[in-house]
Amino acid sequence: MTANNMADPRRPSKIFRYKPPNTETNPTLEDPTPDYMNLLGMVFSMCGLMLKLKWCAWIAVYCSFISFANSRSSEDTKQMMSSFMLSISAVVMSYLQNPQPMSPPW
Amino acid sequence: AIVKHLLCIVRLHQGGRYNDDFDDGEDIAEFDDNDFAEFEDVSEDPAVDVEKEPPPRAAPSSTPIEDDEDEATVENEDGQDEFEDADAQDQDMYSKYDNEEFEGYEKTNPSFKNTLIYREVPAHLQNSWESYYMEILMVTGLLAYIMNYIIGKNKNSRLAQAWFNSHRELLESNFALVGDDGTSKEATSTGKLNQENEHIYNLWCSGRVCCEGMLIQLKFLKRQDLLNVLARMMRPACDQVQVKVTLNDEDMDTFVFAVGSRKAMARLQKEMQDLSEFCGDKPKSGAKYGVPESLSILSEMGEVTDGVMDNKMVHYLTSHAEKIESIHFSDQFSGPKVMQEEGQPLKLPETKKTLLFTFNVPGMGNTSPKDMDSLLPLMNMVIYSIDKVRKLRLNREGKQKADRNRARVEENFLKQTHTQRQEAAQTRREEKKRAEKERIMNEEDPDRQRRLEEAAQRREQKKLEKKQMKMKQIKVKAM
Repeated sequence: MTANNMADPRRPSKIFRYKPPNTETNPTLEDPTPDYMNLLGMVFSMCGLMLKLKWCAWIAVYCSFISFANSRSSEDTKQMMSSFMLSISAVVMSYLQNPQPMSPPW
Repeated sequence: AIVKHLLCIVRLHQGGRYNDDFDDGEDIAEFDDNDFAEFEDVSEDPAVDVEKEPPPRAAPSSTPIEDDEDEATVENEDGQDEFEDADAQDQDMYSKYDNEEFEGYEKTNPSFKNTLIYREVPAHLQNSWESYYMEILMVTGLLAYIMNYIIGKNKNSRLAQAWFNSHRELLESNFALVGDDGTSKEATSTGKLNQENEHIYNLWCSGRVCCEGMLIQLKFLKRQDLLNVLARMMRPACDQVQVKVTLNDEDMDTFVFAVGSRKAMARLQKEMQDLSEFCGDKPKSGAKYGVPESLSILSEMGEVTDGVMDNKMVHYLTSHAEKIESIHFSDQFSGPKVMQEEGQPLKLPETKKTLLFTFNVPGMGNTSPKDMDSLLPLMNMVIYSIDKVRKLRLNREGKQKADRNRARVEENFLKQTHTQRQEAAQTRREEKKRAEKERIMNEEDPDRQRRLEEAAQRREQKKLEKKQMKMKQIKVKAM
């Protein structure tokens, strides 16, 4: 019995539960990319809608995709979906108002 | 009667230039039958055409009317029509009249034609997809992003699973709890990784001698983000496996030690709170201890290094030097230095006895699931380190040195924050007084108010007396 205990390092009595690290005390641990991209996407889609700029709307779509790819699993899907829908609506509205194709900046 | 009508209409045509006639024409038209009333509008429209038309057209007046009607209707319907069509119509019209009539006119005709501007058809009215090439580019870009997301996600997932499969046995034989996400009521092993992200996987193991628990983080590259993939083409990076072992107080003696690649050591010495405070000297080359030159050592004191770097450890480090990013043992671990906005933090950061290992996965990004097996010896090293640290005890001298170091660090910290703590204490005292005064004011019962006031006054008097006593004592001592 004691031989077994010596060899086996496992101790079920010494189990501690997992506590997710508190990111408030250490903000450097968090990756800010999804939040930045979300905000950027919203700004671009508002620009695209208000100023009727097609390229703004397309960049907004890209931003929301990037934000989704980098998001944490604990994050709200509603936030992602809302920014995604906003950018898609910006693109659609820009084309409805002005069906002309986008002209390259060069 | 019909002829009269026709004559009237002819005069209407003429009347484009002569207002009187035109008015007459209009008057006459008013009395006319409503059948011809519609031609009034017709005649007004093509004023230009009327100018070009030859004046006496009594006989074939019906045809001009019809032509005008056609002209008018055509123009009304296709107002924005291309000039090509208009041109064609003009041509037809001209061919019906005598060439003699247009002798002088033809010369001016070409010049009129030269001033015609051919406008480009707006792109969205052209029936071609080519004009939308920018949009097609954008959509292709998005599709490429989505494809990369799916492929990257799957690759990361496969790598994580491969790692877990190769390490599962070792972990299960060492820990009672393998895999926990903290949410379930009972502490049972989930037996699988926690997916935090598409590129970060966690595993919590607990229930072993010599340690509280072990958190393993598989920090893969962001293969699911195309931007990141492109950025990595410029700056190569590799997947990392980070192991953090937290220890109980009795599991480790008081020392701070780190070994790793030279770059990592230089960075950690600046970033980490405990390394910057306790290991002030520059990182020493590992060659002195039998370890490859590429590794350097940061230590609180020489005794610690000698204690940690025993033969087995040296063997591990030598054979896997390229996979080791950093190894950090510390009883004062509190994470990286936190930048506070209001100057210094008011109290020392919380410390925990920790062993921190960071390993680089071989392959520099182009890893395959097979590479995960090569990390297994490193996990063995981790287990060995846990047991070793438990047994490693400083001798008396070392312990004294360590205690002095810790006292020194604490004192420095207290000195730096002294003024701030004083201010904080002052504000707290003022707050208390204010609160008390408020309470007294809020008391409705006048008797109780008086009593509270008296109590507050008595307390203040006592404080003053105490102070006076202290001053007297100091004076006496000075004497």
